[in-house]
Amino acid sequence: MNMSQDVKTQSGMTRKQAAKAVGHKCLVSRRNFLIGAGVTTTIMITLNPGTPQAREVPAQISEYPRKFVAKLSDLKLNEPFDFNYPDEGEYSENMIVRMGVTAGGGIGPDQDVVAFNYACTHQGGSLYDSYKADTKSLGACPLHLSTYDLTRHGILISGQAYQSLPQILLELEGDDIYATGIFGLIFGRKENLHG
Amino acid sequence: MSTPYYIPDQNVPLPPADADVITTACDYCIVACGYKVYRWPVKGNKVGGEKADQNAFGEDFPVAPLGSWVAPNQHNIVLHDGEPHHVVILPDKDAHFVNTEGDSSLRGGCIAQKCYNPERPTRDRLTAPMIRIYGMLQPVTWDFALDIAAEMGKYVIDKYGTNAYGVKTYSYQFMENTYAITKYALRSINTANFTFHDTPSDVSSTPGFRDAGFDNFGPAYEDWMNAETLLICGTDPYETKTILFTQWIMKGIQNGQKAIFMLPRKTAGVAYAEQNGGLWLDVTPGTDLLVVNAIARIIVENGWQDKEWIKNWVNDKWGSSSGFGQGTRNTPWQWRTTWGKFQTKGFDDWAKWLLAQDEFTLENAAKVSGVDAAKIRLAAEMMAKPRDDGSRPKTSVMIEKGFYWSNNTGNTQAISALGIIVGAGGRPGQVIGRAGGHQRGGVRGGGYPRNKSPMKLPGRRRRALDTDTWTMAGHTRMAHVIGTTWIQSMLGSQQMSARFHELTRGNPHQIQSINREKIIETLKARVDSGGMVVVNQDIYLVDPIGNQFADIIFPAATWGEEDFLRANGERRIRLYQKFYDAPGVAKPDWWIIANLAKKMGFSGFDWENSNDVAEELAKFTRGSRKDFNMVKVAARREGKTLHQKFREMGTNGIQGPVYMHKDGSLEGTIRLHDTTRKLLPDGPTAVNMYNKKLTHFNSQTGKCNIQKSPWSLFSDYWEWMKPKGDELWCTSGRANERWQSGFDDTRRPYIVQRWPDNWVEINTEDAKKRGIESGDMVLLSNDRVPSLKDTTLGVESSDFSFTGQLAKGNVEFSEAAVTAVAMVTRAVKPGVMYMDFLHSSQPANALAGRVVDWISGNYNYKMGIAKITKIGESPYKNTFRSMSFAPRDIVI
Repeated sequence: MNMSQDVKTQSGMTRKQAAKAVGHKCLVSRRNFLIGAGVTTTIMITLNPGTPQAREVPAQISEYPRKFVAKLSDLKLNEPFDFNYPDEGEYSENMIVRMGVTAGGGIGPDQDVVAFNYACTHQGGSLYDSYKADTKSLGACPLHLSTYDLTRHGILISGQAYQSLPQILLELEGDDIYATGIFGLIFGRKENLHG
Repeated sequence: MSTPYYIPDQNVPLPPADADVITTACDYCIVACGYKVYRWPVKGNKVGGEKADQNAFGEDFPVAPLGSWVAPNQHNIVLHDGEPHHVVILPDKDAHFVNTEGDSSLRGGCIAQKCYNPERPTRDRLTAPMIRIYGMLQPVTWDFALDIAAEMGKYVIDKYGTNAYGVKTYSYQFMENTYAITKYALRSINTANFTFHDTPSDVSSTPGFRDAGFDNFGPAYEDWMNAETLLICGTDPYETKTILFTQWIMKGIQNGQKAIFMLPRKTAGVAYAEQNGGLWLDVTPGTDLLVVNAIARIIVENGWQDKEWIKNWVNDKWGSSSGFGQGTRNTPWQWRTTWGKFQTKGFDDWAKWLLAQDEFTLENAAKVSGVDAAKIRLAAEMMAKPRDDGSRPKTSVMIEKGFYWSNNTGNTQAISALGIIVGAGGRPGQVIGRAGGHQRGGVRGGGYPRNKSPMKLPGRRRRALDTDTWTMAGHTRMAHVIGTTWIQSMLGSQQMSARFHELTRGNPHQIQSINREKIIETLKARVDSGGMVVVNQDIYLVDPIGNQFADIIFPAATWGEEDFLRANGERRIRLYQKFYDAPGVAKPDWWIIANLAKKMGFSGFDWENSNDVAEELAKFTRGSRKDFNMVKVAARREGKTLHQKFREMGTNGIQGPVYMHKDGSLEGTIRLHDTTRKLLPDGPTAVNMYNKKLTHFNSQTGKCNIQKSPWSLFSDYWEWMKPKGDELWCTSGRANERWQSGFDDTRRPYIVQRWPDNWVEINTEDAKKRGIESGDMVLLSNDRVPSLKDTTLGVESSDFSFTGQLAKGNVEFSEAAVTAVAMVTRAVKPGVMYMDFLHSSQPANALAGRVVDWISGNYNYKMGIAKITKIGESPYKNTFRSMSFAPRDIVI
């Protein structure tokens, strides 16, 4: 009997093995990309009670680190830039993109810069390299084809995910973009900050 | 009901290592994935940890892809034995069948949200029986409500006959319930005014399959994967039976399967197939028959048909004349073949007919259907052209509602013939069947009293009563509605709503007393004045049937609140276990029916629990596709109850029909009509039975009937309905995320955020011409909705045709209009709009004609038309929190 779970990919792996391998490969290639781009140093700013900076951060996300992501002027239209947040652990890979259209939670003069986590909230497939400029979307996930609308807080367009793609909250300070929190639980984790 | 503001939790409680683990299957689509419920008490504040030895999954967090992650939507709090308990409900990560890899859809994946929780949007579950007094529903006791219903039932039946008592019920919500309901309605009351949630008359959904000898659910899920070419008509399984696609068809495509989709809308499954060597036949609604027969014609013209298969497995003149072994009278087949419209003398006769019909030429089919001729030709090649070495592609055919609810009789006849000539139907990977809608939870507790139906067809036989037309004409004095909206799920919905109002709340006789005798007196006066009493049995107060029209409400217990049996689309039968307390005094439908039946004086309803019902109904499954009588026999041998035996099988269950070996072990049936299967040499022993359908087809000879499918039997209606002037087709169906339309999905905040309002997809070109943009609020109107006035007796052969009904003045016309949010998209064919099929106050079915397929008695639901006009902007057009207007065909 030829059953579904026995089906192998062309390289001889089951889909589960393939999913893990893809996740790993993405992680490695993205780190290389970050090194190549010269953004190896991440800046962690410890919030200092009583400073104006601290007051800008909503209370509910106060435990998230504030982390430099990219310079707004470096973001090319529809070219995603990858970064890790809130830590360097599993499923910490995210992308930031300037889409050229106003988006929910968007920053910048045109409110068109958004950032999202790469792990599909269905079963953790990697959405790396799946940004579509024409539809401003991530996906389809290679595992089960879920797609997400980046103009609308990562809401599911079509597919099987249990919730929207976690959106990385951004702040703009001059030309510098900082990640300051996450809206939505990251796939695979029990809590976002226990990566 | 939920508001569209979903705020996801940032963490979830994991089940501790000692949590109870209870197996069940999903409540929703036909696939019925296996699930595990993890349950543990709230008191004590115990939760599992992130280390493998600290949680019930035995997995370290963060988990790997496909692992046991718990999304916030997979957790809920319920009462179990009166104590608050956490439940986390996940697809069974150890599943051996169906949802292999522990896969789930969005709907099943978040099924924890289905559970009653007074702190969540499920808080409006019905918790007590109610009676409408002074226009308002008041809680009463079971005894009081059942008493009134029983008295009125007896009165109506005595005075107006059994057909005045109408039963409109779901066909699927667990075997114990459907058995009790049909035993009551068909055996005890014996009314012909009976039908299921998805049809106006108790008739076959796929008349052509029946005539050909195909079971709707013969194939196994592995067959859909193992086919080399798969034609899928009228559905994208990715949207509506997700795991059948993601775990089976998608893997087939990854292995090189060519998937051909025939439907007017492109969704993710279609896009994935196209991206991987498949094909999209973008057919105009109602013209499928022409495309199917054009494909068949190309195959025959080139001699690509499976000659060996046809020689061995297709009936000749004598074979087809022997019919179905039901005698010469009163078989549907007999009537349909009386005038030689369908029956053939075998393949050559059929081929001769096919080649003589000019409408099936490639040119004409392409022109009328709007499908590129080159794609039709390519489809024929993919399905049947032998390879250079002479071998044939293994071809399978799958159909579902977009197809068989467009030209019910014609389409299902045509596809059966095409299936036969490509050799589909009786071998592994070469199958034909339905994809399925709801799960298969029907077991008949009585036969339909066809001879009591006032609808007699030209020729010999009576046809099952069209309950909508019968009720609209005022013949139903008491309507017993179980687990269906009735009005919005049937056609011409707005006229039905108005008429129901007239017959119930519009009648002067309304209850204005809590005195039992006065209530009964009032309701008797109601029915005597031509009005109607409505009893509604459901889990929520449904609008308008329950909320506005019902006099008596019975609150039902459902999935997870009682032990139930049900089968899926490959006949896999499992126990859906009770794991929490039903809300208030809600009771399972079998209990409600049994107590009502007893009060009405019927015998045979003395069940103590759902296992008692299951053990009684098991013998009535004998000979059916889900025959599990031998599971009961095995259970008895082992001193277990039937439910207990099924509980031990967990999420594996067993595929019907079930055979018991001499040692008491059980063997299921992978597929029906399996001509390659070798049955045991000593045959069925003891009480086992071998039904013919295990290895042959459902005809007298065991071979297939190849039948004609004339376009002319439908073309008058199609020509009349087709858009005129500024009109467009407005067809409908489910969207994946909002599959469970009116009940659970309106109570899931994330789903309501995604789909906060009714919506309609319109092609970019059509929208531009009409000045419509995504997010605009639009009005869809049809000023020529045809409806049948009354049930009729057919004398001449064409009396039941649309033309015949028009000529006799039995068709009236009215207007309908519904609003929606426009979604302008490339992913629907020009000239066609696509709407969610069932929004409570904006039903797409209002736009289609309440005219039954004149041969089968079913509706052609998908044949709606509308003019579309912008009436303003929806709040979703320029805000970002809710809805999405991105297309549904985005590929990897």
